[in-house]
Amino acid sequence: MNFLIIFIVTAILQLFMPWWTIALIPFLVMIWRAKSGFHSFITGFLAIAFLWFSYGLYSHLSTDGIMSNRIAEIFSLPNGVLLLIVTTIVGGIVGGLSGLSGYFVRKSVQ
Amino acid sequence: MKFVKAISTIILTIILVYALNRPWGPVPALGSFLSPFTGFWQNGEKISDPKGETVLKLDSLRDEVTIRFDDIGVPHIFAKNDFDLFYAQGYITAKDRLWQMDIQTRAASGRLSEVLGPATLEMDKNSRRLGMAYGAEVNAKIALSDPKSREALLGYTAGVNAYIRQLAKKDYPVEFKLLGYEPELWKPINTMYMLEQMTLTLAGRSNDLNMSNVLKKYGNEVIKDLFPDYPMLQESPIIPAGTVWNFEPLKIPTAKTAVTTDSVLINESPKPEIKPEGIGSNNWAISAEKSITGYPILANDPHLELTLPSIWYQVQLHSPDLNVCGVSLPGIPSVIIGFNQNVAWGVTNVDADVYDRYKITFKDASQSSYWYDNQWKPTRKREEVIFVKGQSEPYREQVTYTHHGPVTKYSDELTGSVNLATRWIGHEPGNSFLTFYELNKAKHYDDYRSALAKYVGPAQNFVFADNGKNIAITVNGKLPLKRKDQGKFLLDGTNPDDDWKGWIPAEQNPFVKNPPRGFVSSANQSSTDPSYPYYINWIFSPSERAIRINERLEKMASGNADSLRMLQNDNFNVLARTVLPKLLSILEKTPLNSTYKAAQQVLTDWNYQNAPEKIAPSIFEEWLPALRSAVWNDEFESPNAPLAYPSRDRLLYMILKQPDAKWFDNVKTPQKETLSDVTIASFKAAVDTLNARHGAMSPSWQWSEVKDTEIKHLSRSLKPFNAPHLKVGGGTGIVNAITKRNGPSWRMVVELGPSPKAYGIYPGGQSGNPGSPYYLNLLEKWEKGELNELVYLSSPDQQNPHLTSRIILKKK
Repeated sequence: MNFLIIFIVTAILQLFMPWWTIALIPFLVMIWRAKSGFHSFITGFLAIAFLWFSYGLYSHLSTDGIMSNRIAEIFSLPNGVLLLIVTTIVGGIVGGLSGLSGYFVRKSVQ
Repeated sequence: MKFVKAISTIILTIILVYALNRPWGPVPALGSFLSPFTGFWQNGEKISDPKGETVLKLDSLRDEVTIRFDDIGVPHIFAKNDFDLFYAQGYITAKDRLWQMDIQTRAASGRLSEVLGPATLEMDKNSRRLGMAYGAEVNAKIALSDPKSREALLGYTAGVNAYIRQLAKKDYPVEFKLLGYEPELWKPINTMYMLEQMTLTLAGRSNDLNMSNVLKKYGNEVIKDLFPDYPMLQESPIIPAGTVWNFEPLKIPTAKTAVTTDSVLINESPKPEIKPEGIGSNNWAISAEKSITGYPILANDPHLELTLPSIWYQVQLHSPDLNVCGVSLPGIPSVIIGFNQNVAWGVTNVDADVYDRYKITFKDASQSSYWYDNQWKPTRKREEVIFVKGQSEPYREQVTYTHHGPVTKYSDELTGSVNLATRWIGHEPGNSFLTFYELNKAKHYDDYRSALAKYVGPAQNFVFADNGKNIAITVNGKLPLKRKDQGKFLLDGTNPDDDWKGWIPAEQNPFVKNPPRGFVSSANQSSTDPSYPYYINWIFSPSERAIRINERLEKMASGNADSLRMLQNDNFNVLARTVLPKLLSILEKTPLNSTYKAAQQVLTDWNYQNAPEKIAPSIFEEWLPALRSAVWNDEFESPNAPLAYPSRDRLLYMILKQPDAKWFDNVKTPQKETLSDVTIASFKAAVDTLNARHGAMSPSWQWSEVKDTEIKHLSRSLKPFNAPHLKVGGGTGIVNAITKRNGPSWRMVVELGPSPKAYGIYPGGQSGNPGSPYYLNLLEKWEKGELNELVYLSSPDQQNPHLTSRIILKKK
């Protein structure tokens, strides 16, 4: 459920808010309804990673990777798919850490 | 403990977000750059939907505009008035080329460092010191005071800005995201910057300092011998020799002998004084008698540095009083090279001597007055402020202006430093835009002549053909009235005799209409033979391309567009034909080992074609420069005080007609070298170089591999945005003038007639976005030397199998 809330709310806000919304939503959602520390990190990680991965993959496939493959090369990566994985992990870590922060805040005020 | 954990994870998260939210050196802020919602992922594009129709409601439009796209991405714009027409041109050009427009304007106005940091500060300083901004400001004032150019500039500006205003950050071209800055709004003066940049590229240098150094070192006799004012061996001037000058020339300032008192100038920041060969162009038109269509056919291929995005942008512009098609320069309204229902035109560079330097004597270090005509004359100062990314304080410099132009300090071996003012056509007020505007609407020869009279610079050879079956070429631009060779050397800034004495009247610029030979042509060679009364320049591009073009056009009968296309792709090496038999005859007399023998054999069997798969051109093109160095370096190589080198024509003349000239001897060795010695030594050196770089002779010696033509992205640093390896022939002095970095930036052929048929191609694509299918879609055809038929519509609803999507602009 937390996964879905983060995924949907972040997806909507990302359309018009800056990228760092991904550090805000997991944090707030976990203050509101976190279960465990591990769970908060993983949920935040997966929700953001999955969001960035799926939209990135859509962009990559619908344009034959014409841009992602070139940008990958700039970052010395062999192809756009690897760049997509990097994107996914970066988004995931931010989401995960933010979720974990939310959990600890929740614990500390309880 | 709970708080500690909470606060530490929050801090950790904040640090991570902070780190991802700022650039690190060349790495952009990764958070927004990687986010699929805002980053580079947003810049991938698809082939546009062939049936797509978009309606955009925009500010300040006056009426509805329809834009049809064809299958290679070219916009065909239909508007009801000039303002809307140029508005739409600005809008669509920005849509495809916004970053290019931004970075080129910044380069021209000396504002690169604002976004790129200290690395580009020297470049910015140079363009400020040269007075690029000064020239643009002067020209903008004039352009905005003329109703026609004002309408065009304001329309174009409004269009570009309408596009920029509707952009969300995620829509910014990827270069902005990578470099971490934002597009700024367009201004009418930016168009003047683009014209100024063109003037810089094509007429922004001179060899006068290096020539003065030669004069100082060797004196007038050597200058007369080695640096003649007209090619000695071969030339085929633009205006055919024997053309009668039907005018009474103005009084020409009397000649004076060059003085040798100038001190030798030391070049502290060595920069090329001479335009690299390969920046130039070809154009020609054949008469109705020579063509199979019964109407003239015109061709043009401007040779410039090949970049991505291309310097050109294809467009068709249609309004109630014009219907023009061809290529534009992003940032400049109208079509620069193209055709309409009645006429076609093209340009090549003249290479007029319009960049002179004057030695200035200041009263004191404040530079507030300078000695001129036996009195102190006050200077003007212009403060140049350059903002530099990452530095809190801008760089400031007071540039001193004399009546000649802005002053720059150079080093010199006698006094330590010398102040030189630059008199440059780029500072001359005018409205060159009007020339293109009027050519766009031209109906016949007289319109062409009157459009040309408004042009200032960079001087161009305007080739022309019309449906009245006229063909013509004009060496055109505002050309200073000077004495012979004035500006071949450094000039005296204190002496009024050395000033430019006015202008050659526009109608007396060299031109020819419907010459008996049935064609007109130019390839940057000498404008005229020595009979023309005025001085334009003492040296022009070498004559080989012109000779080849004129030979082939001379023989041409029943020509069509394809015959002209094939001539554009002609790989014949006139230089080799001229000199190689002589060089090979020298080699024959000497024993060679098997490696050299093999190379000699390849050259002996060569048909003088610089074809991509041939090995002979690789050897020849390595050999000739080696021979040139072997002959001249001992006398002319001088890293600190650079000397001009004698021309290629002069070297050929010496090899063929003066085999015993003293210059063949290497003065740095005790023994006496002969033509034969330097020929053999340079041949061996060339083969050794090829061996060292490419291994033993094999397919890796093929001309296309050795030449290794590359087309770089404008950033010059983002390699993945460059074009892939190209397999192309041609070369320096070849009609198909593709060198390593320069070449035919646009090839066009137009068959005039009741319904004109035109063909064209450039290496790249309409879109400047490396993530677009239209980024490189024209490259392969260009590489093969093929042309696209240009879609030329007469109404927005015309049926044509090449048409795809449409955009309709409506006023809000």
